[in-house]
Amino acid sequence: MHSYSTAVSTLHELRKSGERKPDLVVSLGQTLIDGGLTRKLGDEAWSVYEQIFIAALDVGRDDLAKTCLERLEKRFPDSPRVELLLGMKYEAEKKLDQALSIYEKILNEDETNMPVEKRKIALYKTMGHNQEAINALVRFLDVYYNDVEAWLELASLYLRQHLYQQAAFCLEELILLQPQNHFYHLKYAEVLYTSDNIPLALKEYCRVIELCDDYVRALYGIKLCTYKLLNASSSASSSKITGNTDSHTLSVLNELATERLLHVYSHKKCSKVIKDVVREWLQNY
Amino acid sequence: MSSTTTIGRIICFIGFIFLAHASYSTYEHLSYLKAVERVERELPLDIKLETLSSVAIFSLGVALVAGSLKEIYVKSEMAKKTIDLVDTRPSFIVFNHRGRVLKNSKQ
Repeated sequence: MHSYSTAVSTLHELRKSGERKPDLVVSLGQTLIDGGLTRKLGDEAWSVYEQIFIAALDVGRDDLAKTCLERLEKRFPDSPRVELLLGMKYEAEKKLDQALSIYEKILNEDETNMPVEKRKIALYKTMGHNQEAINALVRFLDVYYNDVEAWLELASLYLRQHLYQQAAFCLEELILLQPQNHFYHLKYAEVLYTSDNIPLALKEYCRVIELCDDYVRALYGIKLCTYKLLNASSSASSSKITGNTDSHTLSVLNELATERLLHVYSHKKCSKVIKDVVREWLQNY
Repeated sequence: MSSTTTIGRIICFIGFIFLAHASYSTYEHLSYLKAVERVERELPLDIKLETLSSVAIFSLGVALVAGSLKEIYVKSEMAKKTIDLVDTRPSFIVFNHRGRVLKNSKQ
């Protein structure tokens, strides 16, 4: 049983962060609706209904979704935002053509409706038309350049098609938009590593560490990059592969990453088995 | 409510009483001046001191009530986020996943 105020504040936080925890939202929402507490919320109630509706669709609780949608339709009879929710209901029920016609109808009336435009792109994804989704998203980003979420989506769509260069471009745009966010640097570094641009990947991994101390995933990345570069320089000794970082710097970086990794794992309350696995792995690289 | 917050609130209250007293004294002083028909520019020193000390007490109280300080660097805030949180794209969610079947059969 959840108390009223914690339920409301939890829902509020989830709405703000956009995190997808449908189980939690549904159980909290069920308590609110069953207890008739939504009336106490005032104007916030409608966004809570919307949130519960989407979560209910996520876990297949169509009865709960229906209740929310009915209340929203009663309050806002002609709102495109509610119509969008109806479209999502059709999507969940696999009536994709009906959903598409709803979205297109809204867009005919108002072609600047951003959420609907995004839903339409997501619908292409559901239909399995990845190429169409990419084309639509590129057109979308031409208009709304600073939409971070859309750039992330485009990057992930490109990655699905194994188009690493294009994905890297999207992540570069994201870094331009939010240079302080180390996750974008991390993703960028990983895409670079995968497309075998090791020197630049190493630099990006170092940037991640600069932005967020002792970030384990980046430390492993540095380890792998320096290992690869050191091996390449000893066998081929061409500066084209290794970039212009000399081998001394590389080996020092490698040692530093090892040291930090051991340090991180010595502090965390992890079992001896994990520590041994990490130590063994570090010896190989 | 922690004990520091309680103490902070009490201190704020004391500061408020001082401030109220100082303003009342000012009012009294001005009406006295009016009654004896004297013109003076300055307020007496004790009222000034009382006002200033009430501000000092007040700010001490506020500092205690406000709770623990947050770090000034962006990275301390970013370090709390997980990659799943940054990578959720709520506008682009799709519903053809196993959740609809699995969770529903559990009911």
